[in-house]
Amino acid sequence: MEQNSIPSSKVERAMRFVKTGVQIGGNYMKHYSKKMLDPSLNKDQLHEDNATDVYNTLSELKGSALKVAQMLSMEKNVLPRQYTNKFQMAQYSAPPLSGPLIVQTFIKSFGKAPQEIFETFNMKASNAASIGQVHEATLGGKKLAIKIQYPGVAESIKSDLKMVKPIAFRLLDMNEKELEKYIKEVESKLLEETDYELEFKRSIEISTRCAQIPNLVFTEYYKEFTSKRVLTMDWMEGMHLEEFLKTNPSQEIRNKIGQAMWDFYDMQVHKLRAVHADPHPGNFLMRSDGTLGVIDFGCVKEISIDFYYNYFSLLVPELMKDVSIVKRIMLQQEIINKSDTPEVQQIITDAFVKMTNLLRTPFDYEEFDFGNNEYIDKIYELGEEVSKMDELKKSKEGRGSQHALYINRTYFGLYSILNVLQAKVKTGVRDWSKDLIQYHLSKSN
Amino acid sequence: MKSKKLNADIKTELITQYILSTLEQNKSPENVYLFAKKMGIEEKEFYTHYSSLEALENDIFRAWFEQTKITLETAKVYADYSSREKLLAFFFAWIETLKNNRSFVKFMFEKAKNHMPQTPVFLKLMKEEFVKFAQQIVHEGIDSKEITDRKFLTEKYGEAVWVNLIFVIKFWLKDDSNSFEKTDEAVERSVNLAFDLMGRSPLDSMIDFGKFLFQNR
Repeated sequence: MEQNSIPSSKVERAMRFVKTGVQIGGNYMKHYSKKMLDPSLNKDQLHEDNATDVYNTLSELKGSALKVAQMLSMEKNVLPRQYTNKFQMAQYSAPPLSGPLIVQTFIKSFGKAPQEIFETFNMKASNAASIGQVHEATLGGKKLAIKIQYPGVAESIKSDLKMVKPIAFRLLDMNEKELEKYIKEVESKLLEETDYELEFKRSIEISTRCAQIPNLVFTEYYKEFTSKRVLTMDWMEGMHLEEFLKTNPSQEIRNKIGQAMWDFYDMQVHKLRAVHADPHPGNFLMRSDGTLGVIDFGCVKEISIDFYYNYFSLLVPELMKDVSIVKRIMLQQEIINKSDTPEVQQIITDAFVKMTNLLRTPFDYEEFDFGNNEYIDKIYELGEEVSKMDELKKSKEGRGSQHALYINRTYFGLYSILNVLQAKVKTGVRDWSKDLIQYHLSKSN
Repeated sequence: MKSKKLNADIKTELITQYILSTLEQNKSPENVYLFAKKMGIEEKEFYTHYSSLEALENDIFRAWFEQTKITLETAKVYADYSSREKLLAFFFAWIETLKNNRSFVKFMFEKAKNHMPQTPVFLKLMKEEFVKFAQQIVHEGIDSKEITDRKFLTEKYGEAVWVNLIFVIKFWLKDDSNSFEKTDEAVERSVNLAFDLMGRSPLDSMIDFGKFLFQNR
């Protein structure tokens, strides 16, 4: 589907955001006037209205704004669910590049048109990613997938994010400093994602290191047809989550896929100390034989040693029992600050412990059933509760290390995919916890 | 210069030297006599190829245009393109052609700055050919229903596309983004806009309705 109006200039894009801001204001007005007549009305309709307007605005934008929508949709813990549903829709659609521009991109990258390089090349995109699109080609009888990036993505990221800021401010209910950190982190990651040569390097690295995980499949990449804006790999068969579920896979197959995904993240976090792939449905291909293909390595969060030992200790119940260790972690993670009064420190610590206990729940069982909606709902609820806490909002300083942002996002994303997949996963193997306990005991002495 | 050389070769040589001389001196050769002297030929011989320096300048851009068209038409996909895509492809290929001589193009546009928005003298010949080329694409577009045939206006579309081309060239000359990515965007968007304007729009329906009212009241 060709989109007929791509907002072009910076001014025009800015106008779109302003328009949304006005619309949201309008929705609030509508909500409160309705509420005067019908006091029983809850905020669901309001959130729904807001989400529709924000979604409409963002879906007309390409590149980074779309990516922000994607990121927001991952942050289920911060956003009311109504927003998330809308944003999830944003994950699969962006307006396509014209045929001549594809040719032009190839000529700039390799000096040749795609038709001269490959035996066949389908000019119609088979798939749109947020900052580019995927084309099908063949070479030497092999089916290939070629990802082509929209021009000027990297250049427009900065200006886009500046404009998203006021909207995000209203949506996320964060204080300014916190938002600043958030936006900075998002920006640097987005810029990395625009470099396909980097993605190429990373995908090689991770697929070698995760090769032994059962039922996990990676694809072959081609260096000679890869540039900053073009990435060539073997075509991988498989279905995206929603589509896969429509085929009614058996519980056994769901569990197999869920397990592969869980093991993949366990490996990344605890062994590689870097999370290479977003747990967002568009990055995985599921197959009826219970194997899972990983296709996107654009976004990598490296986990520093310091952060690792502190943050992941929250997942070790033995450590959470010790008040002094908890306090040390909270301070290191900048969740509480030395300048806070003891009462505020206590309130925030309590809330945080409650949240991590909930997040940790799957780790406490040998096998955990992610299909349990009650559990996932509890996470959303608590997330909303925490985001509304006055003690957090009033704070002039940002709370929570910005690294935690990506890790949280990873876990929420992972849990929500496993939830939709209704998978039972063996989560009890926590061989990494000994190492963490050791670390903190040596610090306490 | 050896007289054995083919006419076309000498023309190419004249063009190459003209560009070189312009770039090195940062000014155009002042008259035919000086340029011929530099080339080591007689003034008389110059006139057998070009009537004036201006004609030579015109021929530079005409030759590039010709070259771009040939590159396009030899590409396999080109024949399957829609009119919109053909025009897009031309714009991209044209900028690729100019890239080899960006400094010279920049110099020429600077020189003509004071006469804008009129078509610069050195582009007269190319403009003629380009408008013909664009008009042909427009007619194809009318046949394929991509473009709406509007009386009187349709014949001016070629000119409008020319204005679009000049816009893109000027945009490119000012573009400082990596490998001119912004220019790619400018091409994509301006050509799409042009085609959307040439396609059927609410205005057509309004005129149509107006005519109906006028004839039937």
